[in-house]
Amino acid sequence: MIGAAFSVTLTSAQGGDETAFACLFRDVQPALLRYLHVITPEADDVAGETWLQVVKGLPGFRGGEEAFRAWLFTIARHRAVDAGRSRSRRSDVPLAATETLDQPMAPDAAELALEAISTRSVVALIKTLPREHAEIIMLRVVAGLEAADVARIVGKTPGAVRVTAHRALRRLAELAERAGVTH
Amino acid sequence: MPGFPFPGRPGGEHDEPLLDMIIARHVLPPDAPQPMHDLARMLAALAGPAEPGELAGEAAVRAAFNRASSPAGISATARHAGRRRRVRGPARSRARLATALVVAVAGLGSVFAAYIDVLPGPIQQLAHVTVAAPPPPSAKPPRSVTGRTAAATRPADRHSSQPVPRQDASPSPAPVAGQGTPTPNLKLGASRSPGQRVTGPSCGPGPVRSPGPQPKASGHPSPSSWPPGYHCTGLPSGPSALPTLNPYVPLTGTRGR
Repeated sequence: MIGAAFSVTLTSAQGGDETAFACLFRDVQPALLRYLHVITPEADDVAGETWLQVVKGLPGFRGGEEAFRAWLFTIARHRAVDAGRSRSRRSDVPLAATETLDQPMAPDAAELALEAISTRSVVALIKTLPREHAEIIMLRVVAGLEAADVARIVGKTPGAVRVTAHRALRRLAELAERAGVTH
Repeated sequence: MPGFPFPGRPGGEHDEPLLDMIIARHVLPPDAPQPMHDLARMLAALAGPAEPGELAGEAAVRAAFNRASSPAGISATARHAGRRRRVRGPARSRARLATALVVAVAGLGSVFAAYIDVLPGPIQQLAHVTVAAPPPPSAKPPRSVTGRTAAATRPADRHSSQPVPRQDASPSPAPVAGQGTPTPNLKLGASRSPGQRVTGPSCGPGPVRSPGPQPKASGHPSPSSWPPGYHCTGLPSGPSALPTLNPYVPLTGTRGR
């Protein structure tokens, strides 16, 4: 998070300052890419499309840092949904089989145990959760969005988001204990 | 992992404050269960700084940003084309405005010319039909020539090389046939070119050629009602004394008289 300097950085970026825009990019891009790795197999492409749309809409954006992040992750989710539809149209695989393929496979416990606690291993572990749980964890914890913003993005109530996040964290702790990731 | 509150287990709801602290990235109290600390450490790693490769798309995104931030958001060639378009736009509108002005002036001039009755016959007739301008001379009712001055102002009369017969100065209110003052048709065809012979007498006995329709109820007798052997008022009476409006005399050389 940029913090107090966000307003100045945003204003400079809206005025065409490339350095300020790069600051915004470097601050958000890691969380964005990790979130997209959880919800779509085409994370890099979707991230690029997301930033292109952000560049287009940046001059008209108004709001603080949390609003900026919420706006950006909303765009990313829409682009991921579009990519998923496009992928399903291109594929000749039946829908049921596609859903099975899209469902993240549980990583091998021994494989995970061999890895250190890295971002990639945690992302792989989160992908084993149900899609809704994984997405809410990423938006709440990684993107740092408030429950209300997450609720707007995923189409739930803030209370449902809070309950789902708690369940997802408990389930993640279980998985991590079994996989030995946290040891 | 003893003491970790899993869902469905007794006491599962008591971990909610700790879970909220993990989500908010707050530091857990030291007496929190170890699994909570492990979970917090794992999620902190997930929200950590960028790893190698995660910022690989920065160059492309910055290029897109630069393109969007440039004045036109397009290449220099396209900017020049846009400038040419901007320059060409006012010039085109000026040309349109000038054309509109010319058309408007020409239209108003034509209407004005039609109302002062100086247009050629067919065009004057068209103007009479379209804009209620005075009818062309050939379509007008024969008017009594009230004097030399009035006759001299008539375009056709200006072409005449013959003396203009004098008429009564007073207008003739519906003269009785055979007694009133006939109004000779001194008007020549509007479309007659200089040098063209007149095919009929414009004043005197005999058939009078009237190319245009004769108006009704105009108070003037039609030429066909003129009695034979009439004479123009103010001229020596008798057929031999009629003014020599020889129709075969070329009507040239009288302009500017």
